[in-house]
Amino acid sequence: MHTTIHKRLYRIAVRELRHIATRPIYLFCMVIAPVFCYVFFTTLMANGLPTNMPAGVVDMDNTATTRSIIRNLDAFQQTHVTARYANFHEARKAVQRGEIYAFYYIPEGTTEEAISGRQPRVSFYINYAYLIAGSLLYRDQRTMSELASGAIGQSTLLAKGATEEQAMAFLQPVVIDTHALNNPWLNYSVYLCNTLLPGILMLLIFLTTSYALGMELKENTAHVLMRLADNSISTALVGKLLPHTVIFFIVTVFYNVYLYGFLHYPCNSGIFPMLLAGLLLVLASQAVGIFFFGMFGTLRLALSAASLWGVISFSISGFTFPVMAMHPVLQGLAVLFPLRHYFLIYVNLALNGYPLVYVWQPIVALLLFLLLPFFVLKKLRTEMLHYVYIP
Amino acid sequence: MKKYSFRHTIKQGIAGLFHICKEELKMTVKDQGVVIFFLLVPLAYPLVYAFIYTNEVVREVPVAVVDADRSSVSREYLRRVDGGPDVRIVSYCSDMEEARLLLKKQKIYGVVYVPEGFSRDLASGEQAHVSIFADMSGMLYYKALLLANTEASLEMNKDIQIRRAGNTTGRQDEITVRPIDYEAVSLYNPQDGFASFLIPAVLILIIQQTLLLGIGLSAGTARENNRFRDLVPMVRHYQGAIRIIFGKSLAYLLVYLAVAAYILCAVPKMFRLVFLASPDTLAAFVLPYLLACIFFAMACSCLIRRREDCMMIFVFTSLPLLFISGISWPGAAIPDFWKAVSWIFPSTFGINGYIRIQTMGATLNDVLPEYRALWMQAGIYFLLTFFLYRREILLSRKHALKRLHEFRKKRQAVLR
Repeated sequence: MHTTIHKRLYRIAVRELRHIATRPIYLFCMVIAPVFCYVFFTTLMANGLPTNMPAGVVDMDNTATTRSIIRNLDAFQQTHVTARYANFHEARKAVQRGEIYAFYYIPEGTTEEAISGRQPRVSFYINYAYLIAGSLLYRDQRTMSELASGAIGQSTLLAKGATEEQAMAFLQPVVIDTHALNNPWLNYSVYLCNTLLPGILMLLIFLTTSYALGMELKENTAHVLMRLADNSISTALVGKLLPHTVIFFIVTVFYNVYLYGFLHYPCNSGIFPMLLAGLLLVLASQAVGIFFFGMFGTLRLALSAASLWGVISFSISGFTFPVMAMHPVLQGLAVLFPLRHYFLIYVNLALNGYPLVYVWQPIVALLLFLLLPFFVLKKLRTEMLHYVYIP
Repeated sequence: MKKYSFRHTIKQGIAGLFHICKEELKMTVKDQGVVIFFLLVPLAYPLVYAFIYTNEVVREVPVAVVDADRSSVSREYLRRVDGGPDVRIVSYCSDMEEARLLLKKQKIYGVVYVPEGFSRDLASGEQAHVSIFADMSGMLYYKALLLANTEASLEMNKDIQIRRAGNTTGRQDEITVRPIDYEAVSLYNPQDGFASFLIPAVLILIIQQTLLLGIGLSAGTARENNRFRDLVPMVRHYQGAIRIIFGKSLAYLLVYLAVAAYILCAVPKMFRLVFLASPDTLAAFVLPYLLACIFFAMACSCLIRRREDCMMIFVFTSLPLLFISGISWPGAAIPDFWKAVSWIFPSTFGINGYIRIQTMGATLNDVLPEYRALWMQAGIYFLLTFFLYRREILLSRKHALKRLHEFRKKRQAVLR
């Protein structure tokens, strides 16, 4: 009897869909886990920029002027003065207990010295073991110190008869106007979620693809699959993994709509190029999953490799710590991670809205990943036909 | 059935405990999967991470400059920007269009724009503006650009003020410029670096995650090898839940005391991270953390049906766990709901306590809430594991009895 290739593919796909539907682990890895992560990360960082982070004050001077400085500091968006400490030692203890991220220290006699022109010195202590909280509080405390200094200078100048404009021009001759391109709110959620969410999906695709192939060996059903595919490994792979592609792409569409449609994160290229990038990421990740399984031949090693590769992706793709600051060896290795290329595409398209032409390199790179399975096809065929499962 | 004396039970229990411990230790070495997670990953992964973040900070971010003023003052300003460690001017563009093109090609990550009239405004005593444009693909680019320009402008402001004030002494100059002086002090992370901030959290998390994976793997294997797919085999030594749990956890603890010593002491030393911990504080804190992780992992492992499932379920949780612990994302900004969820996991308390002990030199007294929480978790997860294992033992006994019953019936039928 002669069956067309379409029919074979269809039969394998239906068989795979039945597997997916009857085993909870697939449902978990393909839908529940990614969707949970999407909701988790976006609600965790719903504020965008952390506000009202606890900071302390040591006011040894305790005059109307210093109290007003502290009140103003508290009014800043990121700073929330939660406690006053009697001395430096107590405040440092509070930092060690994790109650505050920073404290502002005003020594005794500050007001008196400032008025009499003896230049007192205030200090702020920032705990950079918590880098993000520390950086944000640093900004507020530094601005506050500049302002406090400026306020005294301004009142001196105004008393001398200068206009307010003249006073400002004297106090701050050069002003910096900062433009954070396309993320003017400095929203951390925009900055992180756009790469974190596809990254999680990528990790799960690595795992699911290796797992689906490995289970055929483990459950001794590989020969059934190969018989359905007429002993052609490419038919078997396409038929088996096509349902996965469809489901993962639906999840991709979901996060794109969720981020750009529902949460209104910047998407200056329109959503369709991003869907395309998402599809490419899905396919590239599946190719990596096939490659790992083909190369190692055992499910255990393939899954371990997929996990390690997937988890490292988050660090090496450079969306938190830039690739340009890494060791040159790592800069070269970064191209071996699909998430790196997806990140570059996202930056140029959704974030900055540049034309497609500026992302041809990462797109080609993602397409190159699709060649990976061809290197292991022959080995995969042997594995599927002759290998036995080793735990 | 013969009743054994209490002493006999204890004796048998302890013998069983050590037997189980020995078996489990043997498997740690023999099972390749467990070897990967118990030994290979804890050995290699911290090194990879430390290597990635080894430069700590971003220096010399490439930027372009559009100098529409073209005066000696604007050139002086740009020289100051370039002179700092944070940015490097790689290109002088004639207009913004040209700079934008470089941005698109990702040759630069920011633009400094000095508008026309910059020097004129300064000369006539008005405020002069400089605009900076930062590529927001990385917060660190933004930070570097902002820092370099702020520093340059403050320096320049100082000089201009001194010139304008016409003071007679240097001390007078200083006071004119800044009636109140200030200084910023970085505590516990002197270079404001990325590695000193993230690596300690990752190290602690690696311990919990590898335990979850390794113990899950061994539980999955046990189920696959035992008859009736039960977690607990029907062998003489595996009769009581207590001896199984203590036997197994003793084995894991022995392995992980060595692993923890390497991860938490050797790795930070190797990469010269801030290390202020006193050894006894660290040891006293790590013990409940390891116990909490081991019992947590054992309780979770009861869910695992197949060997490989543990990787599918546990691997991706590393990321949410890192964020929820309050390091990557400030703990003060975590919504209450997620904060409550984070208390389920030993890693939350482990990370917060360890960072304070290691990086900030806290004493056990300073991390008392975390320390107590870890002991509580160890207790709760021990009880949970106990009930789950008891259930498994009863199940496997039931399965065995059922089989025996069937077998007898069959034999009777044959005999008849």
